[in-house]
Amino acid sequence: MTSLFRRSDLHSLAAPYALDALEPHEHKRFEKHLRRCDSCAAEVRALREDAVRLAWSTAAPAPAAMRDRVLMAVRTTPQEPSAFAQPPARAITDRYGERAPSRARRSGFSPFLIPLASTTAAAALVVAALFGMQAARTQDQLAQERAQAREIAHVLAAPDARASAGRDANGQGMSVVASASQRTAVVTAAGLGTPSDGRVHQLWLMRPEEKPRSLGLLDGDTPLIATGLNTNATSLAVTVEPSGGSVQPTTAPVVQLALESVGFGE
Amino acid sequence: MEADELLVLVAGGDQKAFEDLYGLVSGPVFGLVRRVVRDPAQSEEVAQEVLLELWRSAGRYDPGRGSALSWVLTLAHRRAVDRVRSARAAGERELRMARRSNGPAFDQVAEEVEAGLEREWVRRCLDRLTALQRQSVTLAYYDGYTYREVAERLSLPLGTVKTRMRDGLTRLRDCLGGVA
Ligand SMILES: [Zn+2]
Repeated sequence: MTSLFRRSDLHSLAAPYALDALEPHEHKRFEKHLRRCDSCAAEVRALREDAVRLAWSTAAPAPAAMRDRVLMAVRTTPQEPSAFAQPPARAITDRYGERAPSRARRSGFSPFLIPLASTTAAAALVVAALFGMQAARTQDQLAQERAQAREIAHVLAAPDARASAGRDANGQGMSVVASASQRTAVVTAAGLGTPSDGRVHQLWLMRPEEKPRSLGLLDGDTPLIATGLNTNATSLAVTVEPSGGSVQPTTAPVVQLALESVGFGE
Repeated sequence: MEADELLVLVAGGDQKAFEDLYGLVSGPVFGLVRRVVRDPAQSEEVAQEVLLELWRSAGRYDPGRGSALSWVLTLAHRRAVDRVRSARAAGERELRMARRSNGPAFDQVAEEVEAGLEREWVRRCLDRLTALQRQSVTLAYYDGYTYREVAERLSLPLGTVKTRMRDGLTRLRDCLGGVA
């Protein structure tokens, strides 16, 4: 096929778009087109409502355990700032600081056009990886985020997945989604800032009568996926260490989170 | 409370409202994802991601732009299609085999559903489409094929498939018109 569409060809993609049936490059291209073509925008909006009728007829009771898992995850998952509850000037300013045309907000499909605001939690990766964030990321970053998102979803799907979070009075803390059976945890730090002088935040697994085990360096609020966890572990701790990290903690933890409530410890 | 109002509360961080919203949309979301993804474990994983994403990004929903349910189901459909395509790309053969043996026809979904009445109407209206309209729409929407793949499977030119999709959806609208 040719990658050059004539404009008239683009108009004809409204129906496959409404059915999510475009190839990725066409999808991207058509979404750009939608921003300037009112007739396609109107057509997509109507066709989407038709497609959704097809969805309704497939409804089936969701597994009961899924409800517990989702509600549990919701308790520790921060939300994106609302795109529509903000003052108008901000709501229509996109991530590049440019004003998006206000038409895009009314056109019925723009949930997929409005870029994400800052993302701060484990679940945010799931969102980011799948939500058309390609524009701002390299292919490598995207591939990595997709892999992480898959990993996080995997932990969440474990039958014994549990979540816990803690913050101190200064807003520093961390949240964890963990499965003891899979010996895996997704750890997200919050409010720690960046240590000065090139130092780093290092995450440790604390175990009874054993030395702390390094789980790696934290990169801001990017979730860290820790695998092969010892099931007798009692807590997670974050310390400030020299650049590159340490073999054993050299400072007292800045934050610590007990793992008992997520199914670890004896 | 309606889903539209609930979503607005959810965007403000109301966990109770989210529980109510979950009650309203989890069945449609799960059913749709399972229809497209087929594999039960993967379906549950994708549905879970979608529902969590509703919590995270409820603030993007703009009530002035369409119904909350259509927003939710559009999101669910896109996630389901993403999953089924990456599974296909990764060559997950069992999935493809299962799909082939089940076939794309709508009436082969022999699952218990809650939306019995709506389901009956949709089936009736799908029956009124021409075979090519129906296949073009269902292969894309229920089976997650791109219109290029649909064209290949039905041995039709691309332009014809695009037209059949649009005509199929429009005819469905006319048929379902008053049944919302
Ligand atoms: Zn157009």
